[in-house]
Amino acid sequence: MSLLKLVREKYKTISIVGMAKNTGKTMTLNHLIEEAIEESVTIGITSIGRDGESLDLVTETEKPKIFVEEGTLVATTADMLFMGDAKVEIISVTDYKTPLGSIIIGRVKDSGYVQIGGPQTVKETKEVANKMLELGAEFVIIDGALDRISSAAPSVSEGTILSTGATLSRTVDKVIEETLHVVNLFKLPEIEDEKAKPLVENIIKSGKVCLINKDYELKPLKVRTALSCGNIIGDHIKEDTKYVVVSGSLVKNTIEDIIKTTRRYKDIKIIISDGTKVFIKPKDWIRFQHYGVKVEVLNSINLIAITTNPYAPEGYYFDPNDFLEKMRAYVKGVPVMDVVLGGDEYGIYE
Amino acid sequence: MAVATEKVDLTKVKPYGDTMNDGMVQLGFTLPVPDGDEAVEAAKQLVKKMGLNEPSVVYHEDLGIGYTYFVVYGKCQHTVDYSKIEVPKVEVDTMSKSEVEEYIKENIKRDVTIVGACTGTDAHTVGIDAIMNMKGYAGHFGLERYEGIEAVNMGSQVPNEELVAKAIELNADAILVSQVVTQKDVHIPNLTELVELLEAEGLRDKIVLVCGGPRLSHELAKELGYDAGFGTGSFAEDVASFVVTEIVDRNLI
Repeated sequence: MSLLKLVREKYKTISIVGMAKNTGKTMTLNHLIEEAIEESVTIGITSIGRDGESLDLVTETEKPKIFVEEGTLVATTADMLFMGDAKVEIISVTDYKTPLGSIIIGRVKDSGYVQIGGPQTVKETKEVANKMLELGAEFVIIDGALDRISSAAPSVSEGTILSTGATLSRTVDKVIEETLHVVNLFKLPEIEDEKAKPLVENIIKSGKVCLINKDYELKPLKVRTALSCGNIIGDHIKEDTKYVVVSGSLVKNTIEDIIKTTRRYKDIKIIISDGTKVFIKPKDWIRFQHYGVKVEVLNSINLIAITTNPYAPEGYYFDPNDFLEKMRAYVKGVPVMDVVLGGDEYGIYE
Repeated sequence: MAVATEKVDLTKVKPYGDTMNDGMVQLGFTLPVPDGDEAVEAAKQLVKKMGLNEPSVVYHEDLGIGYTYFVVYGKCQHTVDYSKIEVPKVEVDTMSKSEVEEYIKENIKRDVTIVGACTGTDAHTVGIDAIMNMKGYAGHFGLERYEGIEAVNMGSQVPNEELVAKAIELNADAILVSQVVTQKDVHIPNLTELVELLEAEGLRDKIVLVCGGPRLSHELAKELGYDAGFGTGSFAEDVASFVVTEIVDRNLI
C-alpha cells in the first residue's frame, strides 16, 4: 500500500496539514511526489505557507528540500521561483500577491529543487489548485503551514493528510491526545436530517447565525458573528428550537456563554460548516461533551491518512515503531504511517 | 548610504574594532558564579567556546548573590558575504502622513478603519502604541492622528476572538497585530490562530492583515499567511502606506 494509492482516482485536490511545525508535512509531501514520479503521475503542488527552503525561519533547523520532475505543475511566488534550481516554464502570472512576490503558475521543464509558496488566503489557493487541474494535473497537493488546518476544509480540499509528531510534547500520550482531538474534529458527524440539510447549506453560504425550529422554520439572529454573542444565541433558544447553525467559527466562549444563558443547550444541536471551524482545546471539548453539548457538521473531512514523525527538533525522540503502534491503537479506521519507516512492511494499517 | 572610507571586501565582512578586519567583539553577560579568578577564567573559556580568539576580560563585578557580570573582548574569526545578502522587505513607496491622507481622499473616498492589538498573553504595547497612538514615536505621528483613518487600539492581552469580533463589528479594513514576547516561539501559534479564525469567519480575503514585532519579518509573514510583516524601525507611515495601497490594489474599497 502507498499514500499515492490512497489518493489517486479518489481526490482531485488534497491538503497536507500538520499538528505543529516540524511534524513532517514536507516529508509527507516528498513521499507523495516520489511515488508520483515512479508511477509517472502528473501532479500540481502549492502551499499555504512556504516549503523547500533549506533553513527554517523560526527554529533555524534544517528542512527537507523539494525535488520535482519534468511536467510537474507548481504554483509559487515569483521571488521563490528563482531560489530553486529546477527550470520552470511560467504559464501564467496571477493577480494574487504575497510578501514574497506575485503567484505564478508554471510547469517544470527540467527537474530540480523548487521552493513552493502559494497564495495567502485559502480562497485564492483553491483557485490556483483548480487552474493546475485545468492545465493537466491528475491531482493537486496543497501543503499546509505551521499548525494551520484551514486548508483541510471540504470547501478547499476533498481529502486531507494529517501529519503529527513528537515535537508536540515530550509525552507520547499528550501527542496522541492532541492528535485524536483534531481527528475527532475532522470526523465530526454530518447532519443526517435531510429536511434540515438544504436549509443549513443556505445559512452557511449566507454567513449568518440562524436557529431552526422543530417545524423547520428559520429564525435568523441579528448578529454578524457568533463570536462574543453566545449569550444572545442562548437567549433565543426556545423550547421548539432544534438546531443552532453557526456559519463561522465555534470558540470556547461561545459555547460557555450558551451554557450559562440557557439550560436548553442539551436539547439542541449546534451545526457548523466543518471541523476546521472549531477553536476549542481538547480538555474543554471533552468537558462540553460531558455537559451534553452536541455539535454536527455540514461536511465532515475525508481523512486520507495520518503520518507520524517520532523525531523532535528540540532534541528528543520516541521509538518510531512504538509511536506508530500506539497511534494506530487509538486512531481507528484511518491509515497511520511513518513515511521514513516505509510503506509496505510497517506503513499502512487497515 | 554611507560607505566606510577604507576599502572593504564586502564578500568577507568581519567586525571592526580599531583596525580593519581585527574582528574585535565586545560581549556583556552574567554567570551564576561568585566573582573571583575562577569566575574570570570561566568567562574566558566560555567566550573561547563561542569561537572568539584571545578573550580578554576587561571588566567583572560581583552582583551580590553569587552572580558575576562580565565584559569580555574577543576576536571573531568568521566572516559573512554581505554582497549575497537579500532581505525581503515590504515593497511599498512610503508616503508621508499628508500624502497618505490625500491618497485616501482620492482613491478610497471614505474613512479607513484599522483595528490593532497586542494579542494572546503579550502585555507589551510599546510596538502597537508607537504605530497607532496619537503622539506616535520618534517624531512620527501615530495612525490616530491621520485624517481619514479610524484607528482603534485595543491594547494588550487581547484574545484573538475578541479582536476578530471587534473587526467584524467595526467593518475593519485592516488588522494590525503586535507580538513582542516571543519566548518559546509563543507568537507563532498565536499569529496562526488569528489567520485561522479569520478564514473560519470568511473574512480573510476581505481584510488587510499585518503583523509587527522585533522577531517578525516580511519573509516570515509569507509563511504565517499575513499580507505584511514589519520589524523594528517601522513607523506609522510605513504601515499606513502599505494598508491604503493594499486596499486599492486588492479592490477592497
